[in-house]
Amino acid sequence: MDGAEGVIQIDGLVKHYGKVEAVRGIDLRVARGEVFGFLGPNGSGKSTTIRCLLGLLRPTAGTIGAFGLDSTRDGVALRRRLTYMPGELRLPERLSGMEFVASIGRLRGGFDPARRDQLAERLRLDLHRHLRDLSSGNRRKVALLLAFLFDAELLVLDEPTNGLDPLMQHEFLGMVREARSAGATVFLSSHSLSEVQRAADRVAILRAGKVVAQGTVAELRGRARQRVEVWFEDDPPAAELKALPDMVDPVVDDHRFTATLSGSIQPLLGLLARQRVASMLVEEPDLEEAFLNLYGGAA
Amino acid sequence: MNRRMLELVAVPMRAVRRATLWWALGLAALVAVTLSAWPAFKGSSGISQAIDQLPSGVVQAFGLQDFGTPAGFLRANLYDFFVPLLLVVAAVMLVSGQTASEEAAGRLELYLAQPVGRRAVMLGRVIAALVALIVIAVVLLIVQLASDAAVDLRIDTGYVLATILLSALLAALHGSLAVAIAGLRARPSLVLGIGLGVAIAGCVVASLFPLSSVLAPWRHISPWDWAFGGNPLEQATQLWRYAALGVPSIVLTAIGVFSVTKRDIAGA
Repeated sequence: MDGAEGVIQIDGLVKHYGKVEAVRGIDLRVARGEVFGFLGPNGSGKSTTIRCLLGLLRPTAGTIGAFGLDSTRDGVALRRRLTYMPGELRLPERLSGMEFVASIGRLRGGFDPARRDQLAERLRLDLHRHLRDLSSGNRRKVALLLAFLFDAELLVLDEPTNGLDPLMQHEFLGMVREARSAGATVFLSSHSLSEVQRAADRVAILRAGKVVAQGTVAELRGRARQRVEVWFEDDPPAAELKALPDMVDPVVDDHRFTATLSGSIQPLLGLLARQRVASMLVEEPDLEEAFLNLYGGAA
Repeated sequence: MNRRMLELVAVPMRAVRRATLWWALGLAALVAVTLSAWPAFKGSSGISQAIDQLPSGVVQAFGLQDFGTPAGFLRANLYDFFVPLLLVVAAVMLVSGQTASEEAAGRLELYLAQPVGRRAVMLGRVIAALVALIVIAVVLLIVQLASDAAVDLRIDTGYVLATILLSALLAALHGSLAVAIAGLRARPSLVLGIGLGVAIAGCVVASLFPLSSVLAPWRHISPWDWAFGGNPLEQATQLWRYAALGVPSIVLTAIGVFSVTKRDIAGA
């Protein structure tokens, strides 16, 4: 199952908590060496899926695992090959960062102290302080450090940048890229679209326990709406502009034309090539747009 | 024990060391202060006469018979009720604090995400609580024997040892009941409620049922009766009493350690 079929395999995963259907049938493959973004708002089932993968939750139906190992049956062997950063982070309070890292290190069979120090420096984290004295952002840095310390084949990161300042978010993205260059697979859950957009190769969008869209970041951008604004030197060709395909709300106002594009920009560019255009503004499409469109359509 | 298992014991051991110290000091202080009163009671006929005035039910319920003898004094003031109950409370709280409370607070999540089994994590915590209980009981024994010598309370060392061992086993039984419940459900209130509720119910049954001729035969359902029904401060304790407390402790612990693998881990 490993390799061609993917590092992570999720087939028909269902998880109920009593009457609450947290996950309602997820099928997913994550390939070796890719950064996979697992996107969705709070309560969409991201953490539940991840906790099933870790073997912390028992699936109600379906299977979930990685490297050909089932997370319920082969949990210990599976967890040997991955590291995990929880979304809801609680650390033992009485230990220092150094003691906690050493403790987890002993459970995993050791680590490189030089790498620990290097990661701590990179994250600007003082590991000698007690965990209870750390801010929530610094506690998350401790968990982040642990996720990147052990040369795991798979990094499972649940909302990793919550509570990190922009500088650290940038640093985190660098660490993700380096891990991928070193051959690791990264499963990155987030509700921060910009973060996933910058880091991920492929994305699955989750809503109410189901995957509602899946594809590469480029494909998702293709589905995203773009807002365009064009200023003409002469009177704009209003009829022709309004007749273009995939135009939402086209407005011609004096020398200015605005619209939202729900498809390709090519027909518009073809028409503009024959006009005297003073200036043009095309807003960068982002996953947020794609995301909201999908949700708007499904709601 | 391999290195991973050692770490799984060491983590909760570090967490309970302060609580262990306070429990040991508290019980030691209780014993030392109580024993300091012994010289005033020793052979005092006045006290015995005063107690004789009380209704026999009250005397029996509070273990006041033979108050002027060494065994009667220790029973009434320490080992009929206070010391075993405090040991039970310590055991249940230590277990609950290291299992259900830690899990419900989400602090086990990062440990359980490592390449270790849930049973090993749970067992490590049970071993840590057991070691803490043993440390408390050993401190109690040492302080008891030292205080006996200091105030010239003459009692067979073997009987004192047996009484403290039975108290510790009674605590282990309730602690293992807490383990079983924590294995089934990560709810600290449930673990504490059932653990302490059963302890108090057992204590009431053992001390009050004998006062009623109808209820008296039912006192044997109480673990407190299994532990102290043979008057361990004055008579050699039958072996079955140790087994009656020890064997269910092992069974309940096994239930807790195995059942934790069958359910979901509580999230923060």
